[in-house]
Amino acid sequence: MSLLFPFFKWCDGTWVGAAIRGSKYAFPVIEAIHLLGLTVLLGVMVVISLRLFGFILKHESTRELATDLRPYTWGSIVTMLVTGFLLFASEALKCYDSSSFRFKMACLILALIFQVTVYHRATTAMDVDKRPGFAKLTAILALALWFGVGLGGRAIGFL
Amino acid sequence: MMSLFEICQWLQNTEFGTSLRESIWMFPIVESTHVLGLSLSVGTLLWMDLRLTGKFMKSQPISKISNSVLPWTLVGFTIMTITGVLLFWCQAVKAYNSIFFKIKIALLFLAAVNAIVYHTTIYRKMDEWDKASPPPLQARFAGWASIALWIGIIIAGRNMAYNF
Repeated sequence: MSLLFPFFKWCDGTWVGAAIRGSKYAFPVIEAIHLLGLTVLLGVMVVISLRLFGFILKHESTRELATDLRPYTWGSIVTMLVTGFLLFASEALKCYDSSSFRFKMACLILALIFQVTVYHRATTAMDVDKRPGFAKLTAILALALWFGVGLGGRAIGFL
Repeated sequence: MMSLFEICQWLQNTEFGTSLRESIWMFPIVESTHVLGLSLSVGTLLWMDLRLTGKFMKSQPISKISNSVLPWTLVGFTIMTITGVLLFWCQAVKAYNSIFFKIKIALLFLAAVNAIVYHTTIYRKMDEWDKASPPPLQARFAGWASIALWIGIIIAGRNMAYNF
């Protein structure tokens, strides 16, 4: 982990980080946008997971639903990555010492990898609705990983 | 007769309020549940609202989206209400003094009015416009109003944590 310390220190010292730290309103505004992104992203994941479980919108295929939701999925992921980096830059050294932050980053990396591999396959495959085991497992793992990111993020403020 | 401020003071000083506020685990758990509950309440309501505005899943009748999504939204709201009451209970004085809390309550009230007006008027005549594209103006208005109010509620709620 100490290999990464220079990176954290560099982020903390960037002008962006310093500017956000120095401003009274920047952090709350960016944090609020980050939270709106969370609402949309986890909202997408909940709706698609409910569909993968076969609880809602059964008359429409998972593939169609996921296609309709894709702009919101990636729009919110990008929003959260950008605002998240800005928040991080403003308190990178605090994050370095935070076990919640480490947990969050571990979940985030796994969630992103899962999103572009297994989840992508499940939501673009023609036959996923005929493979309920695969569909449900994908839904559980995607929800667990993204909610892990959210939980870890909230915990940075506590632990 | 106690003033509103005294009621808030009494509430957060009850044994339950104090122990929740000072607990190491319960407060963070309740707070996190409140935040993540957003995905179930507002995160599902959003798709209903976007459908009402005519910007999303236009090929699906509104009634189908409504029947699929709203039960989950209500589960989410139940979680938000319970955890929200608990959070208020243990820090009522802070909420009383917070302008953002007052804004949040005002916006929640407007969101409730919006939902009640929608469900008691145009929602009852849904048969006539279920598949209409775009939906009637009143339905589109209800959708946009809901989205705007919930964005405001989330921003106000988050900002209760700061002292400007």
